[in-house]
Parts: sequence; structure tokens; C-alpha cells
Amino acid sequence: MPDLQKLYDAVLNGDQKTSVAITREALDAGTDPMVLITNYMVPAMDEVGRLFECEDYFVPELLLSARAMKGSLELIRPLLAARGDEPVGRVVIGTVKGDLHDIGKNLVGSMLEGGGFEVIDLGADVSAERFIEAVQTKNANIVCLSALLTVTMPSMRTTIEAMKAAGVRDKVKIMVGGAPVTSQFAEEIGADGYSDNASSAVALARRLRAEATA
Amino acid sequence: MNGKERILARLRGESTDSLPLMPITMMYAGDLIGQPYRAYATDYRVLAEGQLRTAERFDFDYVSAISDPAREASDLGAAVEWFDNQPPAIIESRALIADKATLDTLALPDPESPGRMQDRVQAVRLLAERAGTDKIVQGWVEGPCAMASDLRGLNTLMFDLSDDPAFVEALFDYAVRMEVNFAKAQVAMGATLIGVGDAAASLVGPRLYNQYVQPFEKRLISEIQALGVLVELHICGNTRRIVKGMGETGADIIDLDFLTPLSEARAAMTPHQVLLGNIDPVRALRDGTPESVEAALAECYAQAGPAYIVGAGCEIPRGTPQRM
Ligand code: B12
Repeated sequence: MPDLQKLYDAVLNGDQKTSVAITREALDAGTDPMVLITNYMVPAMDEVGRLFECEDYFVPELLLSARAMKGSLELIRPLLAARGDEPVGRVVIGTVKGDLHDIGKNLVGSMLEGGGFEVIDLGADVSAERFIEAVQTKNANIVCLSALLTVTMPSMRTTIEAMKAAGVRDKVKIMVGGAPVTSQFAEEIGADGYSDNASSAVALARRLRAEATA
Repeated sequence: MNGKERILARLRGESTDSLPLMPITMMYAGDLIGQPYRAYATDYRVLAEGQLRTAERFDFDYVSAISDPAREASDLGAAVEWFDNQPPAIIESRALIADKATLDTLALPDPESPGRMQDRVQAVRLLAERAGTDKIVQGWVEGPCAMASDLRGLNTLMFDLSDDPAFVEALFDYAVRMEVNFAKAQVAMGATLIGVGDAAASLVGPRLYNQYVQPFEKRLISEIQALGVLVELHICGNTRRIVKGMGETGADIIDLDFLTPLSEARAAMTPHQVLLGNIDPVRALRDGTPESVEAALAECYAQAGPAYIVGAGCEIPRGTPQRM
């Protein structure tokens, strides 16, 4: 049985090789995959988010931690699916039409994955039609829209309007974010939530899921 | 004093009749002359017209050939997405150096042969012809980190910094050699100042910045200065943790985004280092009033002291109202 604290450390330090190796060992030894996620990986990503907020970690460190976590998740996910475990929620995430900034979106997606959500990442420059299609085909319950340009913020509004027109708006909770977005803007365009950083985005997504299933 | 004299006096530490004005305008300048941004970025005559009319309208002390970060990458054959009325953008998922081995096969692009780099060189020529006696004519190049991310993809570059620093250094070295050539061509056409934009550098944090990025910025800046012109370093975003290193690059002007208080930059640098910035482009300018602009400017001046040039944190946003 490996020392699972090392899994926490490996994710925190962005060491993918070690995190994958320990995960494999632990799974071989019969550890419940959910325990690895909930007791080690989620707390590690929470700490990564905290270090980023207080400017101890920067984008490279965050991406390395996310990569380490994803390596482990790849081993774990099939086991969870096989035993019929449902993710906390299914998130469709993308940067809106006309906008190619994806670092923030990637970080939010990774933190959500670390938080036990299934994340369907549509990439950057995503049209309203592609969001709608993903909601329909992936059975998503949360949509995350990211925008970094003031000139593409209106695409958030048009995406939400198009979702209404397509009749999928009420199937999902919509979260918006990105440097120029504000909670006031989020409210104006009819989104369900806004957060200015990746770790509180996870808390927000959990809250929205709880509201929806209550 | 004309604009050129005013800026040069400021850089020599002499007094000026009024504060030098050097705000970045790109989409704003295109809008002002009623041209779609695609035309602004692809036709040097449109860019020059936009710059000259904007500078005249607001009494700016300089004109600039800045437009978008994709000129060099386009000429090298990178995949670029074009928009009608927005700057073109490099498509990261099809990055030119997706395979590291590609770097060794890349020749340096020739800024004199037809392409988007040449278009900028022509813009500098026309601006110098039309305004060079009265105003500073600014050429523009990408910094090492920005150029590397344009060619390799920003996300991938962030991993490379820890997975393969030797490759990153080779890529930065390539970027510096390319940009020195590009600067040379613009200086030959009459640029009196070269701006170096290194936005991606604000993301890497102080350790990686000081170890890998700053030394290459410093080399680029000193090689451009050796051509006999001034250099401005612009890094957008939050640079609070790297601002000291920025000051140590030797750039004549350090241009800061609104997220980095000028007081902190001043504390990290000498009293003579000229700082440019950093009015909040959206809150204080686009959504502001003449009063809020004045208050923001007074605050910048109070924090920066006399070695100061007026500008916004980054480009003046499209849609900023004109009230005079
Ligand atoms: C890197 C960068 C680029 C790279 C992007 C590469 C990439 N793969 O992302 C490149 C070079 C391609 C680029 C291009 C351009 N850029 Co740019 N870029 C930046 C820069 C330096 C960093 C952005 C970033 O990654 N930040 C780090 C991440 C972690 O922060 P974040 O995205 O805000 O995300 C956090 C939160 O906002 C939140 N969040 C984000 N999304 C979401 C979503 C949800 C649902 C939630 C809940 C939360 C959330 O969580 C994240 C983590 O905490 C910024 C300046 C800056 N430092 O902010 C300019 C900046 C965003 N760019 C800008 C501009 C103008 C451009 C260009 C138009 C430049 C030009 N003239 O050509 C082009 C446009 C291309 C396009 N069509 O998209 C401006 C935007 C101004 C404005 N407000 O409109 C900025 C602010 C620079 C400036 N000061 O002017 N850029």
C-alpha cells in the first residue's frame, strides 16, 4: 500500500509521473478510487488554488498540478464509470465566440475536474450552436462561459439568448467568468453565477448543483 | 515644444511644458477613421491614417505601428484566424512549433520581403514621412516570451518551462534574433522608438521570469538600443511580482498595466526611470467621465513622480467616448 500523502504532494508539486505511479499502486492494492479523489486529489487542488490566489503559484505551476491530477484521473475514471458512480455534475466549458484566451478557462475546467465534476471542454472561440449541441448530447447540467475581451463579452449574452431560443436554457445552470466580467454583468445577461477565480468557481458549481437537485 | 521634443526631454530628465501623451490606440484608431480593423492590420496606409488622425485629434505626442501580435508568426507560416473587425489571432491548437524539432528548421523571416512584417515596416516609413519631425514614431516587436508563445502555444510553453528549459532558451534566442532584425528594418525607415510587447511574461511568476525571460528581454532591449533608438517595454497584466526585473532590463520606458500600481514600480526602480501608464482602460476611461479620467491621471502622476508619461494600462478600448 503506497503512502497516499505522496499523491497529495505529487499533485501539489505538479509531478505527474509520481501521481500516476502512486495512483496505479493504490488502485492495484484495492484502494477505493473515490477515496483517492476526495481525500487526496481534491484537497491538493484546493491548496493549489489557494497558493495561486495568494501569488505563491503562477500559471505554470497551476497547469503542472492540473496535468498531474489529470494523469491520475485517467486511471480512475473508467473504474468509476464501470461501477456506475455518477460525477458530481457534468460541465460543458468553453471560451466564447471570437475569443481565443483559454488559460483561465483551462484552469477553471481543471479545478472542476479536481472537484469531482465531469468536464467537457469545447476549447476556445466556441459558437452558441456548439454549446447548445454539447448540452443536448452530453446531458450536461452546468455550462461555463469564459471571455477575456471586452469585445467578446457580448457573445456571452448571445450564447445565453441562443440557448433560450433552442429550449435548453432551463436544463442547465450557467456560470460566467474571465477578467473583464463582473457579477453585475453576469446578472444583466441572465447567468446563474459568476466567480473571479478558479477555486471559488468550484464552490459555486457545487452550490448551483445543490440548488438544482434540492 | 512639439511632441517629439517633449518626449525626448522627458527621457533626458529635463522639464517639459506639459505631460507627454503616449496612449496606445489600435482598434480605437481604426474606428476613428471608420475602417474595419482587418484593413487597419493589413494595409499600412490605413494604419498610418488612423494613427495620424488620432494623434492629431487628441494631441498625442507619438504615433505607433503596433497592431497585433501575429505579424511575425504569419510570415513564418503559422495558422492565423482573421476577423473582420477585431485583431487577427494565432490559432494555438495548430501552433507552428507544435513539434519542437520544427524550431531547427525555421529560418529567420526577412522583414523586407512581402508579408505582414514588411507592411509594418512600410507603416513606419509612412508615419516617419508624415509626422517624423513633430512626433515620436514608434515601431513595434514582440518580446521573447510573447513570441515564443505565439509560435509554440502559450499552454505548451508553460509546460516547457519546467519540462525542457533548454528548448525554451533556444526558442527565446530565436525570437530575439528575429525581433532584432525586425527592429532594424523599422529603425531604417525612421522609427525613433521601438516598443517591445511581452504580455505572456506576466503569467510565469517571478522565479521563471527572472531565470529565463528577463535575461532575453534584456538582451533584446540592449541590441535594439545599440541601433541608436529608444526602447519601451510593455507587459500587460499583473506584473507586481516581476516589476523589479522589468526595471533591470534597461528599457528607456517601462509601460505598466493598471494592475501594477505605479507606486510599487517606482519603489522598485530609480527615480529617473521613466514610467508610462497605467490608467484603468475600461473602468476609468471607457466607462469613465472627464472627472474620473482626471482623477486617475492625477493619481498616476502622484505615484510615479516627474519621470512619467501618460498612458492607459493597455490600448484605449474601443468605444471610449470622446469628450473634450
Ligand atoms: C495571454 C494573453 C493573450 C494570449 C492568449 C493565449 C491563450 N492561450 O490564452 C494571446 C497572445 C493569444 C492574446 C491575444 C490577444 N489579447 Co490577450 N492577453 C493575455 C494576457 C496577458 C493574460 C490572460 C490570461 O491568461 N490570464 C491568466 C488567467 C489565469 O486569468 P483569467 O483568464 O482572468 O482567468 C481567471 C478568472 O478570470 C476566472 N475565470 C476565467 N474564465 C472563467 C469562466 C468561468 C465560468 C468562471 C466561473 C471563472 C473564470 O478564473 C481564472 C483563474 O483564476 C492578458 C493580460 C492579463 N494579464 O490579464 C491579455 C488580455 C486579456 N488580452 C487583451 C487583448 C486586447 C488581446 C488581443 C486583442 C491583442 C491584440 N491586440 O491582438 C488578442 C485577441 C485574440 C483573441 N481573439 O482572443 C486584453 C483585453 C482587453 C479587454 N479587456 O478587452 C488584455 C487584458 C491585455 C490588456 N491589458 O489589454 N492574449
